[in-house]
Amino acid sequence: MRRPLFFLLPLLFVQCSHPQVETVVLKGSDTELNLVLQLAEAYMEAEPGVSISITGGGSGVGIAALLNGKTDIANSSREINAYETAMAYERGVQIEPFIFAADALAIIVHPSVGLDSLSLHDLGKIYAGEIRDWSQLGGKPGPVSLYGRQSNSGTFTYFRERVLKRDFSPDLKQMNGTSQILEAVKADPGSIGYVGLGYLTDNNGALREGIRVIRLARTNGEMAVSPLDQNMVYAGLYPLTRPLYQYTNGVPEGKTKTFLEFENSPAGKKIILENGYLSAREAGLAGNLEK
Amino acid sequence: MKSRFFWDTFFNKTLSAAALVSVLTLAGIFLLLLYNGLQAFSTIDIAEFLSAAPWNPAAYDAPVFGIGAMLFSTLIVTFGSMLIAVPLGIGTAAFLSEMASPRLRNLLKPAIEMLAAIPSVVIGFLGIVLVAPGLAQVFDLPNGLNALNGSILLAVMALPTLISVSEDAIHAVPDYYKEASYALGANRWETLLRVTLPACKSGVLAAVMLGLGRALGETMTVLMATGNATAMPHSIFDPVRTITATVAIEMGEVPFRTPHFYSLFACALVLFLITLGVNIAAERLAARLRKKGQ
Amino acid sequence: MEKIKLDVQALDLFFGKKQVLKNIHLSIPEGKITALIGPSGCGKSTLLRSINRLHDLHPDARLMGKILLDGHNILHRNTNVVHLRRRVGMVFQKPNPFPMSIAENVAYGLKINALCSKSEMRARVEQSLRNSFLWEEVADDLDKSALELSGGQQQRLCIARAIAVEPEVILFDEPCSALDPISTAKIEELIMGLRGKFTQVIVTHNMQQAQRVADYTAFMYLGELIEFGETRQIFEKPQQELTKNYVSGHFG
Repeated sequence: MRRPLFFLLPLLFVQCSHPQVETVVLKGSDTELNLVLQLAEAYMEAEPGVSISITGGGSGVGIAALLNGKTDIANSSREINAYETAMAYERGVQIEPFIFAADALAIIVHPSVGLDSLSLHDLGKIYAGEIRDWSQLGGKPGPVSLYGRQSNSGTFTYFRERVLKRDFSPDLKQMNGTSQILEAVKADPGSIGYVGLGYLTDNNGALREGIRVIRLARTNGEMAVSPLDQNMVYAGLYPLTRPLYQYTNGVPEGKTKTFLEFENSPAGKKIILENGYLSAREAGLAGNLEK
Repeated sequence: MKSRFFWDTFFNKTLSAAALVSVLTLAGIFLLLLYNGLQAFSTIDIAEFLSAAPWNPAAYDAPVFGIGAMLFSTLIVTFGSMLIAVPLGIGTAAFLSEMASPRLRNLLKPAIEMLAAIPSVVIGFLGIVLVAPGLAQVFDLPNGLNALNGSILLAVMALPTLISVSEDAIHAVPDYYKEASYALGANRWETLLRVTLPACKSGVLAAVMLGLGRALGETMTVLMATGNATAMPHSIFDPVRTITATVAIEMGEVPFRTPHFYSLFACALVLFLITLGVNIAAERLAARLRKKGQ
Repeated sequence: MEKIKLDVQALDLFFGKKQVLKNIHLSIPEGKITALIGPSGCGKSTLLRSINRLHDLHPDARLMGKILLDGHNILHRNTNVVHLRRRVGMVFQKPNPFPMSIAENVAYGLKINALCSKSEMRARVEQSLRNSFLWEEVADDLDKSALELSGGQQQRLCIARAIAVEPEVILFDEPCSALDPISTAKIEELIMGLRGKFTQVIVTHNMQQAQRVADYTAFMYLGELIEFGETRQIFEKPQQELTKNYVSGHFG
């Protein structure tokens, strides 16, 4: 009695054999992870034939994967370094950089610290452990408590290159993620931390409570700018605006190329802004595919 | 007859081969550690490696390879966890074996063993959202991500093994020892402390060592929950970074065959030697206890 | 008439639903040796273990009736079991010294019950070992593990351990069943030597042993006490048919 059902089997196969699914693999920066995930979801909705796989691990991990041929695109919140460039040359990997968005790194403190602006110079001294008490900068007396990311984070490297130009203090508490920095700063009265702009607002776009966002000046005496002041940031006056990179091996083709193009389209830009990031071009940086 | 002989030889050879594979794997791992770890010292001064200079291999200027602070951190976190887990674990095991009704025991023991199945990330997460804020409140600290937090979480992770194995050991103590003790007018507490536990001390010691091994080698939990500052800690309320966390954080992105790469192997080698030392010491102690008991 | 040390009155004992002792009445005289005999499973060991309430450790055991020690019911809820067991010592079937040194074994009960000061300890240990005829053999090895002794020596050590706390009653649960004839003879000699100092109750399946050592003998069968009397009377002029069959070797 059951035999007639076997007819139907070929039909199942027809159902399953979809026109070829093309997969694009992305790997790297945790800072970029959420944003790229949202971009990929929107892209896959528009182009059902493409499957995009994204994993984090840190910028260094992404670039290493690109050099090892394990990913199509490496997400990186820092620029590729000299060692990696040399390695790419050695292995015949032709690195193509793209800047698909920008991120302003916000400096946050516990409200009881009693400061609302800093110069990059003083910020560097704080994170190097040279300024150990807030009273040295005119704040409320109390020890400085430093929060940052682990050394495999692109943000860690970016911050060190851009702000410190020397080593972090060994007293830096290295958190696993940006949310953890945010929570720690809220709880610790003498704390200072750095987080991406997107993390300053909650799901409704309101500024999070329990933290104070520091206005930053390039040098002592120059005007201090808040990362929340969009006009100033777009005018290129906020000192910790950084490009978010994506690297490919050689000039991208096929779906890798169309995905990068989608990121640069009005729809992609909308998603970038909604997530609290900056569109690359308006932040004064070159956009995707138009270096 | 011939076929029986064949199968006997066959199984004999197969089992020998299996044993050989595990021994060779172990030896291979050790040699790999040794080979890569020792290479670190062709560029790194061994005195610097063992010093308390804060670990900073990817430094802005000159890299610093000092394992001292991390070693000390590993030891205080582990020791602290044992300080919590050993009395609690043996106490629980004694309760389960000697005081609890069989029904309660059959309910609790599997439940405790299930604790061991909780992934270490989950424990680490609980440490971040639950234990650390609790510690900060109780001890009035700015932040609870510190050595004590790590010790508490590692204690939780070591407990299931510790309880399960020592419960087995306590349960295996023959009833006639306990009866003899009761018959001399000892109460349950005295019997437990003076007869039952001494009679199974080698088993309980094995349980403690298993727990210690788990705590020493645990990575994810400490990486998430101890604050990861590379400075030398001054108290259990300071954030610490253990050897395992360092290797885990840095191994993912370190360029191959660089001093940094080799130094991570050297760290792993140090950890391996500590674990080996602990195991050998435990083995000797257990052997001595067994000999004394016979 | 001798003074009665232990008086068992209408004792019933159940393990779960199974009745193991049925309406036992037994009066054990002070200072004498009383043997409990009967075939395996007759309840003689169970009765013995009721006397120092070792069944408390068995969650299924239920006891009804009375056991009077010097007129006080030890089965009463308010009885201090720890104190009771100090007064009623026990030697088990299998020699069970603790896995400690010889001296520590004997000193254990003294320490637990804080019966003597540290300085007296050595003398008390020696005294107990002398009383159990073990001193000559172990005097130089007091710190050696008790588990290195022979079976017979271990059992005499257990007796030394029991008498060290100076109980009033000593219960023996087939103390020689795991021993060779020479060791058995030594233990029997020891038990007889303690006659008068302690009230002794001995469970044995060896009828010659009962005849050799016991002043009184009780015969039990299927959980009931069939007959109790002077040893000579039980073995030579039993009143009950069952007793007669058993002591003459017709069953069991």
